[in-house]
Amino acid sequence: MIKDIFGTDNCMVKLIFIFLLVFSCGGFAQNSATGPHIEVSLVSETSQLSIGKTHWIGIILNPEQGWHTYWLNPGDSGEAPKIEWHSDAIEFGNIQWPIPKAIEVAHLVNYGYEGRTLLMVPITLKEQSLPHATIKADLSWLVCKEDCIPGWAKLELDLPIVPTGQSIDYSDHQALFEQTRLRLANKPFIEAKFELSESHIALQMAWPYQSNWQIFPFRGDVIQHNAAQDWTQSQDVAQLVLPLSDYFSSQPDSLKFLLSDGGSGYYVNALPNSPDFIRTDNTASKPIWVILVFAFLGGLILNIMPCVLPVLSMKALALSSTECKSHWGYPLGVIISFWLFAAVVISLKAAGSAVGWGFHLQEPLLIAALAFLFTFIAMMLWDLLPPSVNMSGIGHSLTQGSSFFSQFFTGVLAVIVASPCTAPFMATALGVAMLSPAFETWLVFTALAVGFALPMTLLPMSSHFAKLLPKPGAWMETFKHFLGFPMIATVVWLVWVFLSQTSSMGQLWLLSGLLLFALFIWLSSKMGRPFSYIFMLMAVGIATLSSMKGTHITSDDQQLGSDQFSEQKLSQLRNENHVVVVNMTADWCITCKVNEQVAFKDDALKALFEEGDIDYLVGDWTNKNTTILNYLKQYQRSGVPLYIVYAGNHSKQILPQVLTPEIVIDAIYEARKEINNATSN
Amino acid sequence: MQRLIKWFVITTFFAPAMSMAAAKIDAIAPDFTLQDSYGKTVTLSDFKGKYVVLEWTNHLCPYVKKHYGSDNMQSLQRKYTQQDVVWLSVISSAKGKQGHVDANKANDLTKTRNASPSHVLFDESGAVGRLYKAKTTPHMYIINPEGKLSYAGAIDSIKSANPADIPKATNYVVSSLTNLLAGKAINKKITKPYGCSIKYKS
Repeated sequence: MIKDIFGTDNCMVKLIFIFLLVFSCGGFAQNSATGPHIEVSLVSETSQLSIGKTHWIGIILNPEQGWHTYWLNPGDSGEAPKIEWHSDAIEFGNIQWPIPKAIEVAHLVNYGYEGRTLLMVPITLKEQSLPHATIKADLSWLVCKEDCIPGWAKLELDLPIVPTGQSIDYSDHQALFEQTRLRLANKPFIEAKFELSESHIALQMAWPYQSNWQIFPFRGDVIQHNAAQDWTQSQDVAQLVLPLSDYFSSQPDSLKFLLSDGGSGYYVNALPNSPDFIRTDNTASKPIWVILVFAFLGGLILNIMPCVLPVLSMKALALSSTECKSHWGYPLGVIISFWLFAAVVISLKAAGSAVGWGFHLQEPLLIAALAFLFTFIAMMLWDLLPPSVNMSGIGHSLTQGSSFFSQFFTGVLAVIVASPCTAPFMATALGVAMLSPAFETWLVFTALAVGFALPMTLLPMSSHFAKLLPKPGAWMETFKHFLGFPMIATVVWLVWVFLSQTSSMGQLWLLSGLLLFALFIWLSSKMGRPFSYIFMLMAVGIATLSSMKGTHITSDDQQLGSDQFSEQKLSQLRNENHVVVVNMTADWCITCKVNEQVAFKDDALKALFEEGDIDYLVGDWTNKNTTILNYLKQYQRSGVPLYIVYAGNHSKQILPQVLTPEIVIDAIYEARKEINNATSN
Repeated sequence: MQRLIKWFVITTFFAPAMSMAAAKIDAIAPDFTLQDSYGKTVTLSDFKGKYVVLEWTNHLCPYVKKHYGSDNMQSLQRKYTQQDVVWLSVISSAKGKQGHVDANKANDLTKTRNASPSHVLFDESGAVGRLYKAKTTPHMYIINPEGKLSYAGAIDSIKSANPADIPKATNYVVSSLTNLLAGKAINKKITKPYGCSIKYKS
């Protein structure tokens, strides 16, 4: 039998081994056992237990000098110790793993412990009636130097139980428990982001403080354990790019790590990195009804937002002065508008494009249109409109009065003007909606709509609510004039947003347009027919012209030493036989940032770029755009980073996703050589 | 900085060059030539047209003992060599390290353990082990008749040195070969191996 298991080699050693195994596994369980090169024991921090308190017990692993045991992830080889607890009276918590160290064996790396290590476990007593509690542990371990020896032991500990309130004595091992607490990692988890490329994983987190940090993954199949961990830092965040493990297969929802500088440790929870506008942070875990309640409350709050209040106040004033027949126009208008919005969001999402509330605000043309709309409303509030477009928002007949349709369109208008205010206040609910299945998105939008529509629907419905409305009078005029200012405030904000999307020249176009628009409308109000109509048309004309013109003057703000990417520019430079380096990047891409720090800030590379025959084109995909998406698709990529070096029209090299200055420099030399060869032939 | 440069040089210049040659799932398995325990030269590409199993082994490793002591490994060898599968046991232990054996000792082990590999191969330099990124003993690989790597990883699903776990575990070599021989796809082509580290030349 013995021969069968162990072969014929080193029979004597094996016999001793067997003896020790039998000894430690044997029937006479006790609180300690000895295996080859290791002693193990089951100990308690206190000499007694009492109910209602968390007590600590633990397993001491005490290998010989030079031998080691393993952490929860043993690394390239090895095995973490396993404990199976048995006790009728006790509930056991999880092992509190002390901070491990990386142990190198040839070119492989293990994570484990040298020297005496205590694996602490919290316990609570379930039953007090017993005089004492028996704790049994089935322990298995692996102890290694270079060679490894597994071991098993059944350990047992008997502790008296004392009544609640009675004092408890510490055991002889209390000091070891205290020492071990200093070797545990800090909780809670540090938040981090991870990003996967074809062969690498990039991590980004804020360090607790500056130190020589190393990460230990909980899972054994994430990183190549023997890769050197060289961090880069930009501002307050640190990034690390590591080669992916050969065994890495599935795309995880989150990855856990331990961050340690040898002295202290922090647990890290890394979530997939995604563009800022689709990140959910902690909202994803909230149940749907909480989100719906928030959406409803958010809808209510929207009624008093500066961009909505004036429209609704006007409407309320109108309602208080006229008798109202139909109550359902307004809420229907609101709800249908929100549904339309939900439909757009759902279909855009289905089309594969990640969108966020306010995504229509990323389109400068819409910003310009909203600026004109709000200017128009302000002028209306200041009674600067021609009599033909009196008081209402968009046309007298649409929103003015109390017919079903006028109410319906007041609802629609309210939703449109509400949208600039929504983004900052509704981020949570909408963030979830954007990432949720279609039905949940629809629910969130509906809750939002109901909340939004409720006050103005209730107002005319009952005389009780109607009594709450102030009596009409001259003060209404004054109040109306005042409401024009929040409108202009919104215009100011929109014009500011417009600048960041276009350029100062574009903003000048928009501001001039707004000025002429206001002038023409004022002129229109001063003139009789047909001039009134002509000026009105001119106002619309100037609004259209200036928003179009302004939008097309896009930002010329570029990174130093680089040009903004465009297909035309690329093909022009290639035709001119230049070496062209294309860098497709985005602010939210961790790998891109690391590459820009490590490779593109290199002095040798910078010097090379200054030599003149090399052009550096940067495409910024921070906000999605089709030019870059099409370019990425040409290279079968769906995301950044992408680095390509062109040798004129002769050839191109796709560089790896993780760069060094040398890779870029070599690619440039290669491209240069190719161009020289081609021209000399 | 020095370390940074060194690492980048290794990962970026050697790694691509190596990974071109190194073993990759569904790619042509890197060819090699090694001496077997009878002094015969064995070349992987000679077995084209047949399934080949590579088993990294070290007879003193407790995880290898788990599978030999229970006759688990030998029964797999018997079962599959009878079905015309080539079974190559590879020893990458360096001279003077655990598991390193000479030809006589290797043949003796085969006899006493009642093992039936097609060949026991010596990889003292560790070159083939590194080419296949073999990390542990045991570490199992399956190469299909076209010479492509179909499976790489653990022998079974329970990472332990306890022979009592063998019947409870899913044996990945069996499940993979069963599917392959039936012309079906494998669901787990790559798993994390477990066991002792291979005692490579440092």
